[in-house]
Amino acid sequence: MITAEQKPLDEIREMLAPYRRVLALGCGSCVAECAAGGEKETAALASALRMAARIHGEEILVHEKTVDRQCVREFILPLDDIMGDYDAVLSLGCGAGVQAVADMYPEVPIVPALNTEFLGETKDQGYWVENCVGCGDCMLYYFGGVCPLARCAKQILNGPCGGSVDGRCEVNPDVPCAWQLIIDRLTRLGALDRLERIYPPKNWARKQGSGPRKIVREDQQR
Amino acid sequence: MIMESRLKQVLDQGVFAVTAECGPPKGADPAAILKKADLLKGKVDAVNVTDNQTAIVRMSSLAACALLERSGLDPILQMVVRDRNRIALQSDILGASALGIRTVLCLSGDHQRFGNQPGCVGVFDLDSIQFLQVVKGMRDDGVILDGEPLSKAPDMFIGAAANPFADPLGFRVTRLAKKIRAGADFIQTQCIYNLDRFETWLSMAVDRGLTEQAAILGGLTPLKSAGMARYMKERVSGMDIPDAVIERLAGVPKERQREEGIRICVETIERLKELHGVRGVHIMAIEWEAAVGEIAERAGLLPRPRVPQG
Amino acid sequence: MTDPSRRTLALFYCRNVPEAGEADRQAIEAAYGGHIRLFPLPCSGRLEAVHLMRALEEVADAAYVITCPEGACRYFEGNRRARKRVERTREMVAAIGLEPERVGIVIGSREAPKTLAQLAARIYEETSRLGPSPALKRPGTQPPACERRRSWL
Repeated sequence: MITAEQKPLDEIREMLAPYRRVLALGCGSCVAECAAGGEKETAALASALRMAARIHGEEILVHEKTVDRQCVREFILPLDDIMGDYDAVLSLGCGAGVQAVADMYPEVPIVPALNTEFLGETKDQGYWVENCVGCGDCMLYYFGGVCPLARCAKQILNGPCGGSVDGRCEVNPDVPCAWQLIIDRLTRLGALDRLERIYPPKNWARKQGSGPRKIVREDQQR
Repeated sequence: MIMESRLKQVLDQGVFAVTAECGPPKGADPAAILKKADLLKGKVDAVNVTDNQTAIVRMSSLAACALLERSGLDPILQMVVRDRNRIALQSDILGASALGIRTVLCLSGDHQRFGNQPGCVGVFDLDSIQFLQVVKGMRDDGVILDGEPLSKAPDMFIGAAANPFADPLGFRVTRLAKKIRAGADFIQTQCIYNLDRFETWLSMAVDRGLTEQAAILGGLTPLKSAGMARYMKERVSGMDIPDAVIERLAGVPKERQREEGIRICVETIERLKELHGVRGVHIMAIEWEAAVGEIAERAGLLPRPRVPQG
Repeated sequence: MTDPSRRTLALFYCRNVPEAGEADRQAIEAAYGGHIRLFPLPCSGRLEAVHLMRALEEVADAAYVITCPEGACRYFEGNRRARKRVERTREMVAAIGLEPERVGIVIGSREAPKTLAQLAARIYEETSRLGPSPALKRPGTQPPACERRRSWL
């Protein structure tokens, strides 16, 4: 899933300052899972904006609507019926959602309410961690299911670096040393010899070789 | 211009090698590094020049090495993979060789978080082991990564760093083996205070035949005080300073602790000289370059051997 | 008909608070002439920031929640969750320029349990001292066009 966190309210208010009729648009997928932009959070933020306006003697109309998935064209098409009522959209989607809506309604100013952060997992309730960088060339098999690009601060493919302390990364002691995890995992799998190999330089072209990436599947098209 | 790495020549002669380290200034004045270099002339075989160490912006290692080379010292170009992608790294190897720099140390580098530009992109296009492999390919096969030929191959004596005291211990020698297989001709270790643990690591390296394939230089940093020892023990990762060493320093009055630190360093060198598989020492006297000469003298390492210049 | 010179309190409470049945609720609301609005919850852990925010926006000058005593939540951690959510809501409230004290939590006492009516009286008295909330929509003021009424529980 994609994770995000809400921007500080001041920043949101500053971006919304020129607008009087705002649609706060939530998303029921990833950002709902990480409690940043789902229906509840959208309602709370909309309420906060209305109250803030009242306190500061400003006038603003803020309506809320949450779609299942803001990054899918079909799910945002129904907004056609109501978009004319607003002079701006405050999107609580991730960056993909914000832009999908912006592309659909290019004449409507769009303000992002969230800072999109990382691809990761819900490790526990209220706790999300990054574990994938979308490199386009997955090597998780070789590393026992622990990604050294996402989880090693120096992206070392032939680790460890030698700076870890008690199995924690020297760069961030909150984070376990990915290479310690890899070694432990491969040892448990009886596959530590996988690390005798010198892994060659990564082909980063699969990630950023020619600008923003795309996937086209004709068998999925109309 | 030096035709071949002085460090390599000394090691080839079978002499116990001595290297030291100096850091370029946080400014553009060449005099700063030349002054440090002066203190090391004649005391060591080669001098490491650090590369934006601790991710703090300093005069580039490559430039500083060129200055040192011109002043008659043989520099060891330290290169980290944190700041440059494969194009820049290979380009700098070619440039270094063209400038007469003949020894390179391929390192990961401290993460940018620790330095004074924490908002920068940490490049890490290659890791240190891949970098070793690339440099070896350039030197031995005359090609860049992925095989395109160079018009002239660089001439480099290739080194890497090793930390016998880091976690996970069991894996350190496997990693050392990988570095040597990738292309390391020599290894400089993290500074040694715990000789027993160092010897354990060394014997594993000997067992794997690694000391025949690469020259291991034991790292040393003279301690200036008990306070410094304590700080390093607690705050610097990958460091092993036994309590006995700290107590020994704390046991002498403050004004004599520097002398004691030098004494400990000299004793460590004497022990390292005895160990099979150790072919030299690397003295990292941080902001205390003057101590290097004294240590080398007292450890019986002077004068340094003469080697044919180009 | 509420009196503009009196404050209003929105009070959420776990139904396990002593004497917090439907009849009690109606009696308290009647006694305060609508200036205490009571919202029963199956567990205080069901409370979310949006409930408190909407209460402050539409209903009351202050919004509080009463939870079961520490360790006594029949769903084990509901009261602890409520505490964390109240904390987060207070941060949001402060960010809009409103006194965070307008949002609060009262954790029931094991040793000296109080009834809903007793707690309501105490909380009402304390929060009234904060004065009228500048964030609350006043009756008679013109609302922005097409305001939506939504269920938010």
